[in-house]
Amino acid sequence: MPQQDPAPRFLNLLQIRMPAGAVASIAHRISGILIFLSLPVVIYLLDLSLKEPAGFALAGKWLDSVWARTVSVLLVWSLAHHILAGLRFLLIDLDIGVDRDTARRSAWITSILALLITLGWVGWIL
Amino acid sequence: MSRHAHGLRAWLLQRISAVYLAIFLVYLVLHFIRFPSPDYEEWRAWLGGRAVGLASAGFIVALVIHAWVGMRDVLLDYLPHSGLRLVGLTLVAFMLAGCGVWALSILLIAGMQNGS
Repeated sequence: MPQQDPAPRFLNLLQIRMPAGAVASIAHRISGILIFLSLPVVIYLLDLSLKEPAGFALAGKWLDSVWARTVSVLLVWSLAHHILAGLRFLLIDLDIGVDRDTARRSAWITSILALLITLGWVGWIL
Repeated sequence: MSRHAHGLRAWLLQRISAVYLAIFLVYLVLHFIRFPSPDYEEWRAWLGGRAVGLASAGFIVALVIHAWVGMRDVLLDYLPHSGLRLVGLTLVAFMLAGCGVWALSILLIAGMQNGS
């Protein structure tokens, strides 16, 4: 019986060569982390906007700022990529699109589609 | 519960919450396309409404579950030893619990203001 390597306990991402599926997968993780980090800010804005009319106006003004618009681009990409790549993973879990060519193609499609949605958002807020 | 069953349960929760989150986000996007810039009263009435309030509360619960399983997977994969893992997991747990309680209380207050 061949000796099996133990499962890696620590993954060094810089030492791994990544095909499209791996890029879509790691971007799914990065986007998830970004969404997680954005939660306190989003909830704070929700709180501010609901308390009183003045807070609502302040939240609106803040969302209009260059800073918020720039961050919103990152967040829109994160949401778009996370949902599309997540949908791809769900389909693969259901045994749809598992073979290598289809999986590779769907990885490209989800990653590019997320970038196109982000580009559309940039055009919308400019 | 055995470790294996625990992992399977997390895997399943991750996917069930994902479906709910995705459906709710599509609803949000469609809603804001139809009603792009609400004023304060419209905004409060919408989020304070019973159906939207309950669906949003469900969204927050699903989000906390989903983020916990996802962040836990990420931390266990990339943090090299158990001390760091414990610190990371504790920080994430506190942040998610705080965010969940905070967001739910915001919704509850908005709903009560609407009712009165």
